Amino acid sequence: MSTPVWRIVAEREVSTRLRDKTFVGATIFTMLFLVGFFVVISVVDGGAEEYDVAITQPADTRILDVAQASLRSTGSEDAEITAADAVDADAAEALVRDGDVDAALLPTGGGYEIVGDEGIGASLRAALASAVASQALTANAAEQDVDLDALNADTQVGQRLLDPNAEESSARSGVAFAFALVFFITALGFGMTIAQSVAREKESRVVEILAAAVPIRALLWGKIIGNTALALGQVLLFVTIGLVGLAVTGRGELLAGISWAVAWYVAFFVLGFVALAALWSVAGALASRQEDLQSTTLPGQLILIVPYFVSTLASDKVQAVVSVLPIVSTMVMPGRMAQGEVPWWQVAIAVLVTVAAAVAFVRVGSRLYERTLLRTGGRIKYGEAFRLSD
Amino acid sequence: MLSVLGLTRDYDGTTVLDDVSFDVRPGRMTGFVGANGAGKTTTMRIIVGVLAATRGSVTWGGEPISVEQRRRIGYLPEERGLYPKMKVHEQLVYFARLHGRATAEAAARAHELLDRLGLAERAGDLLETLSLGNQQRVQVAAALMHEPEALVMDEPFSGLDPIAVDAMVSLLRDEVTPHMPVLFSSHQLELVEGLCDDLVILSHGRLVAAGSVADLRGREADRFRVVLAGDADASTLRDVPEVVLLDARGPEATVELRDGPPEEVLRALQSVAPVAEFARVVRPLAQIYREAVQ
Repeated sequence: MSTPVWRIVAEREVSTRLRDKTFVGATIFTMLFLVGFFVVISVVDGGAEEYDVAITQPADTRILDVAQASLRSTGSEDAEITAADAVDADAAEALVRDGDVDAALLPTGGGYEIVGDEGIGASLRAALASAVASQALTANAAEQDVDLDALNADTQVGQRLLDPNAEESSARSGVAFAFALVFFITALGFGMTIAQSVAREKESRVVEILAAAVPIRALLWGKIIGNTALALGQVLLFVTIGLVGLAVTGRGELLAGISWAVAWYVAFFVLGFVALAALWSVAGALASRQEDLQSTTLPGQLILIVPYFVSTLASDKVQAVVSVLPIVSTMVMPGRMAQGEVPWWQVAIAVLVTVAAAVAFVRVGSRLYERTLLRTGGRIKYGEAFRLSD
Repeated sequence: MLSVLGLTRDYDGTTVLDDVSFDVRPGRMTGFVGANGAGKTTTMRIIVGVLAATRGSVTWGGEPISVEQRRRIGYLPEERGLYPKMKVHEQLVYFARLHGRATAEAAARAHELLDRLGLAERAGDLLETLSLGNQQRVQVAAALMHEPEALVMDEPFSGLDPIAVDAMVSLLRDEVTPHMPVLFSSHQLELVEGLCDDLVILSHGRLVAAGSVADLRGREADRFRVVLAGDADASTLRDVPEVVLLDARGPEATVELRDGPPEEVLRALQSVAPVAEFARVVRPLAQIYREAVQ
């Protein structure tokens, strides 16, 4: 049993693309861009607050503990202050100067001073100051025989956020946007490649021996499958970098929340891509030369551009309605799932409609492809292609 | 045997091929001639299945040809075309695989063909870096890669210099097995003459002649060229009853035999004057073609 024709054709599509320097370069560039994005985020974000503070008296570790507790109670849950012991003030200052510690806490005649090199982080300074003050207050109160609790009555200031998940929800809408953008770019890029590769075969006339050797439908399937595999591989690569990036920059919670949406995204991606691939092949078959592609690929471009703007600009209600439509579903549905709960029946409808559309597109596409592939000598219009007989 | 039966093709209401039937016999080279637009390419495209016939059929061994049988035909299209940016060897292997050949077997075959075409050292080059003549050779190699059971070649010699034509002819002679029908079109009649055993002539979409070259030639009375020895006047041959003198110029004459075998006629001629040369006039194919088309 010899290798099926579609596989031979698909293999050629893949190996040609993998040897194309532009394609490989663009893929590597995108990967570097993604990695860079997460590096920037983690730098801007600074991650968890971690400080090293030099002290000269072992007892002062208590002040640091109190300061750490106060940092943790005001938002920085992972804050940590580590003590670095120094023999005397000079040694502590040397540590500060060398950058080994962020600050030194040195006792003075009337209390403490916080010594920094060029500056001291505001939250660290505030936490240390309040820890010193509260330790001194406790000591003074005991000395004066004052009831500290009574003195402190009604001075507590709490904090309450009306939208505590604001940061995460904006991250989630960022993910939704990334879903739409990646599909838009990949589908458009690969779509143009498919159309070009078909048009090139027509232009170089190689299509004549291809058509004599194998069924035209097998050629089409080889192109669709080869390019879908490549596009899927590329998207999996990007998604993996995205997920690892989220995990590494401490967004494990967000990651857990969107993992289902990511899985659905990959599924919708394949369906949407296959549906479009047939259309792009027809766009290539309608052209006789590369220049014709500008006009023959216009419908394919519109089918991507319109849903893309819908996915980024439309209101939630509009998005909910259109997210069951084919192609639109790939750009919108996984995004909606990343941002919140989507009723299962809506997802089911979207899958069914997209599968049906993919089947219909491939069928109509392969008929148009078969009819137009061997017609050279001028661009063929879509209407003409529908009227052509075999 | 590969045959076409009542092949007809209409394009937008005009008939470009009208009820054409002929056989391409195995082990023989069939030349396919006709003016531009006579329907040669259309016929060949229908045979290999690239174009559908409006009416009529293509048969293989008497049965309608199957998809699998069509895949075993080697086809050289009129409009040459390969992948310009693909390496020569890789490209040949690809086409052989599309025809159902295993990769290793195809790789060996590609080396063998490139070697015989004098292109062994270009195997790893991109096709577009080859000269047009060499690209043409690769195209022929592509048609032969899968060891086809029949060959359909549209103008295989166009664009080749005489030496390349010789190389191509000897390659074809090597490749054609006793079971292989070969159909090739050409407008270079002198080439077809030296190469083909059978001839099919099309004119304006209709078949005007088909058969072996010998048969087509034999359709007229035998003519002989006579050269008399010395300075004898050939016009004296007018009085020989066995021949009709068609033309006489000095010692040379063209005569048509009236009756009797050539050796008796020669004796009759020698009785008039010593004969230095006596040879059958073979009609050039061009003449057969012209007569058939008119």
